[in-house]
Amino acid sequence: MGYRNRAEAETEACLNEALLFATMCILGLPVDVHVRDGSVYFGTFHTASFDKENGIVLKEARLTKKGKSSANVAGGSVIETLVILSVDIVQVVAKGGLFPADGVTANISGDNVEAAVTNAPSSEIVASEANKSNKFTADRKESNENRGSAKNKNGSSQGIMLTKAGKDHEERKMPPNDMGNAMEFEHGKRDDVNISKRGAFSGDSVNGRQTGEDRSQDLYKHEFEFQREKSADEVHSLNATTGPHLSEAKPVAEGQVTVKLSPNGVSCNSAGKLMKPDSRYCGGPASVGTTSPIAVCASVSTSSNPTVDVPSESLCSSLANSTDAISPQISGSNRGSKARTIYCNSYRAFKLNPGAKIFSPSFSNPLSATAPAVPTAASMAYIPSNFPAVPFAAVQPEVGIPFAPRSFVPAKLPPYSNLTAVNGGSGSQFVQPVVGHMGSRAQPQPQPLRYSVQYHAVQAAPAFVPPNSQSVMDGQMGQLVYIQPVSHDLVPSEAAISSVSARPMLTPHQVQYPKHQGRAAGQTLHLCVTPPFVADGQQPFVAPSHVPFFQPPIPAIRPIPVPGSNTFFNTKFP
Amino acid sequence: MAMEGSNINSEDFTVGCLLSIKTTLGEEFDGQVITFDRPSNILVLHILHFKGSKPGPKRNIRFLKANYIKELSFLGQAEDPLDIKKCYIDLHRLQAREELAVRQAEADAERIGVGVTAEAQSIFDALSKTLPVRWDKTSIVVMNEVHVSSPYLPECVSGGTPAANDRVKKVLELKRKRLQARGAGL
Repeated sequence: MGYRNRAEAETEACLNEALLFATMCILGLPVDVHVRDGSVYFGTFHTASFDKENGIVLKEARLTKKGKSSANVAGGSVIETLVILSVDIVQVVAKGGLFPADGVTANISGDNVEAAVTNAPSSEIVASEANKSNKFTADRKESNENRGSAKNKNGSSQGIMLTKAGKDHEERKMPPNDMGNAMEFEHGKRDDVNISKRGAFSGDSVNGRQTGEDRSQDLYKHEFEFQREKSADEVHSLNATTGPHLSEAKPVAEGQVTVKLSPNGVSCNSAGKLMKPDSRYCGGPASVGTTSPIAVCASVSTSSNPTVDVPSESLCSSLANSTDAISPQISGSNRGSKARTIYCNSYRAFKLNPGAKIFSPSFSNPLSATAPAVPTAASMAYIPSNFPAVPFAAVQPEVGIPFAPRSFVPAKLPPYSNLTAVNGGSGSQFVQPVVGHMGSRAQPQPQPLRYSVQYHAVQAAPAFVPPNSQSVMDGQMGQLVYIQPVSHDLVPSEAAISSVSARPMLTPHQVQYPKHQGRAAGQTLHLCVTPPFVADGQQPFVAPSHVPFFQPPIPAIRPIPVPGSNTFFNTKFP
Repeated sequence: MAMEGSNINSEDFTVGCLLSIKTTLGEEFDGQVITFDRPSNILVLHILHFKGSKPGPKRNIRFLKANYIKELSFLGQAEDPLDIKKCYIDLHRLQAREELAVRQAEADAERIGVGVTAEAQSIFDALSKTLPVRWDKTSIVVMNEVHVSSPYLPECVSGGTPAANDRVKKVLELKRKRLQARGAGL
């Protein structure tokens, strides 16, 4: 029998490739080394040389079996580094090693995936962008199609595509109000953003994607986000923006601080453009832009992202639905966005994702239940926070921060980046709380929806209010808010503002909310909530927006009002 | 390379073939040839049926000097266990793994008293479950202040604040009782 080709190819001079490989495979593994005299040394395989002279090196080795001859190694003691000469070696036994075909393969595949992800993101993003642009030009229906494409892309590109899609969605959403102009601007912006984002994405994607789970989660998140975005789009600028924002914010939160920075310029531009079309919407878009950078051009991608997400099964269906039945979709998307946001926040924490998923369903259901209002409602829940508190929405998912920045637009953006970063850190926390909420929501759909909404609002409020008010929301919001303030002068102002206007409102409202919800049992909640949200949201926006314009803190304040508005609604309703 | 003291033909070590090997040290095992390196006369085996080992994703790999093969029987021929295309090594992973292993080994090594009795080690292990302990030669240092020297009786506890001293005495007493109970139970 002859050696195989590989063996045959090897020359005497060359170290056997397979041997080298096998040796590499046991590096760092505990091994038993049997030597000539029968002694056995146990240690961590450190290195080996199969030349005639040298042997192998063990770390933290100890003699486990005494041989016939007396070695210079005392039994029982640990030798930090033990060199065993080649001539003494009888055999090396590695236990529990992952050999090539097994673990190695897995590793390889994993690595490849990661690499693919990183690479894909940019390419995908581009494609998605192209799609997005197309989508933008095309009708929303087209966007739906894009979603499909995005989905496809998502499959390949995973998270990145999604994010892009999400961005696109957001952009799309923006457009609805001044769709044409905004869209165009956004497109241009998007391109810029995308580029910047791409870089960021590659980094981000790499980071998050490295973990298989993370990837999957990301994808899910993205999908959710996309859905949200889609829904948001359908809903139109407000809802869509909020949804996307959230989703975007999430992505951004993770890795995107840097991205955001670069994007900031872009986002700022976009924001500015957006702002022009609709101040409110602008805020949203702007935020989107900012967020997008973070989340890979989340804003831009948002639209595209949704599409990407859509590909993922339910999301897809929801998307399709959304196109047809916008409201349902929106709800779905909102859910998705929430989930996404959560996910985004928790890219790291997968746990969040599950919760997010749960949320999304509940959201969707509630939304659907609401029907016409639903989309708005769903989005509204978000929207409220989004519009008035667009930042809030973002805050909830982490996106909130981006949102706030968005609303602030360019000036804020820099701070946002900081904020976003902060958010990212806090994001996990947020996510968790959210998840918890989500879970509760999911169970009682109507109530949950409300809750979610409320929560969101609350969260948003808390984000701003946090210090003042309560629980999770507060905590989250507070963190975010605090961050922003810290970064800038805004903090004091915010604190003051929020404390004054928002906080008082929020705390009472928030507190009441849960109660209200519980009392209401969620019946009217949907209907009431949605309309209220919208109306409130808008109104709050106006007021808050003005205030916020001053600075990021203000935005925070806005959000607070929004939640407050929501809560108010609730309170009002009761 | 000459195969010292053996009549084994290196061509017997065809990649992928299954061998039952008896070594000059009296070990016996079955394995699949992963590769054979003539220059170093090393046979790399994937151990299929190592006494007591169960087949699983984790494999036992054996680098055996062919010189030490006493008996060898050919069991069969199988596929090359190594798919060159799938051979991938992540150096960073390897480094991390080794670093972790070494750190773990160091931590474990620190827990092993040198020149102490098995009883002392078991007392040390028991104490380590509730208190931070380390060896100082043959005496156990608890919480960095209380010393427990041989024979590790409560009376041997010295040093530290009175509170810490008392606590260590109590824990030591308890641990000894448990160890005794366990020993009796066995």
